[in-house]
Amino acid sequence: MTAAGRPNPNDGIVDRPGAVAVIGAGPHGISALKSLLAHGIPADGFDRADGVGGNWRFGAPTSRVYESTHLISSKPFTQFPDFPMPDSYPDYPSHRHVLTYFERYAQHFGVGERYLFDTEVVDVRAADSTTGSAFGGPRWDVTIRRSGTGPEVTLRYDAVVLANGHNWFPKTPHYPGLESFAGEVLHSADYKSADQLRGRRVLVVGAGNTGCDIAVESAQNADATYHSTRRAYWYNPKYALGRPSDQVADRLLALRLPIRVRRGLYSLMHKAIVGDYTRYGLRHPDHAFYETHPVVNQNLIYYIGHGDIEPRGDVDTFDADGATFADGSRIDVDLVIFATGYLARFDFLADPAVLDIRDGKPHLGLQMASPTHPNLWLSGLIQPDSGQWAIAHWQAETIAEFLSLAAHDPTRAGAIHRDIVQATGHRFSGGADYKDSTRHYYEIAHQDYLLALQEVLATLRGARDPLPRGTTVGLRV
Amino acid sequence: MRPWEWAFPPRGEHLEVIAAQPATDHGHPPILFVPGLGHGAWCYAEHWLGATAERGYPAYAMSFRGHGGSGGHTRLGRATTRTYLHDLMQVIASLPAPPVLVAHSMAALPARLALARYPAPAGVLLAPVPAGGLRQSLTNQFRRRPAATMRTLVGGTAEFTAVDLFADLDAATAARHLSRLGRESPLAQYELMVPHRIEPIDSPVLVVGAEADRVLAPADLDRAAAELHTSAVMVPGGHDMMLDRSWGEVLTTVLDWIDLHGTAAGAALPGATKLPPVAQALEGRPP
Repeated sequence: MTAAGRPNPNDGIVDRPGAVAVIGAGPHGISALKSLLAHGIPADGFDRADGVGGNWRFGAPTSRVYESTHLISSKPFTQFPDFPMPDSYPDYPSHRHVLTYFERYAQHFGVGERYLFDTEVVDVRAADSTTGSAFGGPRWDVTIRRSGTGPEVTLRYDAVVLANGHNWFPKTPHYPGLESFAGEVLHSADYKSADQLRGRRVLVVGAGNTGCDIAVESAQNADATYHSTRRAYWYNPKYALGRPSDQVADRLLALRLPIRVRRGLYSLMHKAIVGDYTRYGLRHPDHAFYETHPVVNQNLIYYIGHGDIEPRGDVDTFDADGATFADGSRIDVDLVIFATGYLARFDFLADPAVLDIRDGKPHLGLQMASPTHPNLWLSGLIQPDSGQWAIAHWQAETIAEFLSLAAHDPTRAGAIHRDIVQATGHRFSGGADYKDSTRHYYEIAHQDYLLALQEVLATLRGARDPLPRGTTVGLRV
Repeated sequence: MRPWEWAFPPRGEHLEVIAAQPATDHGHPPILFVPGLGHGAWCYAEHWLGATAERGYPAYAMSFRGHGGSGGHTRLGRATTRTYLHDLMQVIASLPAPPVLVAHSMAALPARLALARYPAPAGVLLAPVPAGGLRQSLTNQFRRRPAATMRTLVGGTAEFTAVDLFADLDAATAARHLSRLGRESPLAQYELMVPHRIEPIDSPVLVVGAEADRVLAPADLDRAAAELHTSAVMVPGGHDMMLDRSWGEVLTTVLDWIDLHGTAAGAALPGATKLPPVAQALEGRPP
């Protein structure tokens, strides 16, 4: 869906020479804007909500967190490396902690005042102008309006950073008979609190982290809970060996153990904590560790063991009162929650080719760089197997470092951009073979991806300040 | 990458921060003072904090864990440079805006790591320990006081006398300051003697050396400055230049430099053109 044919008279355009438009005030947007400012590049931000936080702004139109959401990765890697979460936060902070953290970050770095809030971007297109951008490529026309309605204003920028997120547009599967189902059907996008579950018979579809969270919450509140999963997953504990389990995993990475050894140790840990999955009525996972996005939930197995969650396979059909599963079993339910994930959307882009969108998925160098324009970048199209915002920071630094080089040495920047784009399609999987699913479109192994960013950043910094012979940049992400 | 940092985050401790605010807001960045070996926020609270606030800068001084009024005294023995970096970043993130870092002596190591990852407007290193490790200073110290130096090498806290730290201070005042010195983590002390990885710093950095410094040898000061591609600016006084009689002169040198470099466009997050006034147009009113 594009906004083709939108009137775009040059005379009414607000010119922002040398500036960058940042779309979105989630963690990737605010870190991108902050890195640009720190590199001396002026930038304006836009967000539909009334403040920063994006997905973590509970209650905002594009927020998908629910009352009970907590981080599933612990603080050390999840936080921005230059702005740690306070020691007073727990290992796994709640969405309230997280929003406060983002608000403090925005205030600390003076980012909040660079945003127009309650403002949505309706159109982004290459400008029809004779002068090029200060960073190479065309200039960009960004059309905005008050969220939902109102007159439109077009601003002209020298570069655009898209940070509009990929976990907000619900993906709902189609099942035969679903339209005849007499009960309520919800996507997890609209799930906010346990009040929606109380006194009901609930079927939760999907075994991602959200599906498992809701199943557990349903077990605590609903009359009956069924959990339908298409694939059998590994359910990782939040704690192992007395520490947050992702910290234990990073110990193994720090020791530079190969993936086979790490898998073996993980398998041992699972045997010790969970044991045989089939004893709980679950199927044994059909894949090795690291091949699917980790599900981190310590309580799911617990509630299955208490009989408060009944695990089921794939749904076959729905009828007026319930659902029939692939194994022929049938249940009566009055609420179905699809925790079936989200799709990336870029409806405001006049020309989807600038992100090479095929099969609903952009194809970008380093999962960030437009293949066609050196001054169009996307931050946040990643789903790491660990925390997210350390990577957000380094993506932001890469973008800012690239644009500041592009402003001074377009030839060198062009060559680096070509290298980045040429590697499009590379999977940063840390040696694992990801299962094919929209769920893993943007999956990355954090250590693998960071090393790639570190290499690009060192090249960019080396190009900016030539170093004496025999010395290295020494940058460490 | 920093997998060890992700795998072994230091445990949180209460950290002492003493603040002095200017009477009126001049829009200057805050200045965070970081004390050296065995010292706490008190050494800056004595003269510098108030005088800095009078110059219009919000002034803060911190104590690392196990130092001054901070918590964690019983677990101090496990603290390393990385632990102090954690403490420093905790305090930085609690401030309302990015601070200029002013670090003394041993604190230069965590401060340089902080400057490498954090976009501070500027950094000032007072009598800094070189990342390459102390050499001449150790030899000098060993010649002067072999027994005390040996005690340090087996884990005792480095011992300082009034002569070491102050060039010109009356005996009573010097004794009062010396009595406030606390213990130091042996691990952090050993780290002063071994080379550290040097990470690139984008912020402008000033290195300050004291003319009558009896702790940090001139050769080590020059190496620290060379690591930062600069040379040291010399000021009067001994190693503890914030407490010595000439503290005012030193502070003036530091703040004059911060006036020039700590608030310059491009150094701080720039006060470049802000959002254009499109709000009225969005409401459908003529601008």
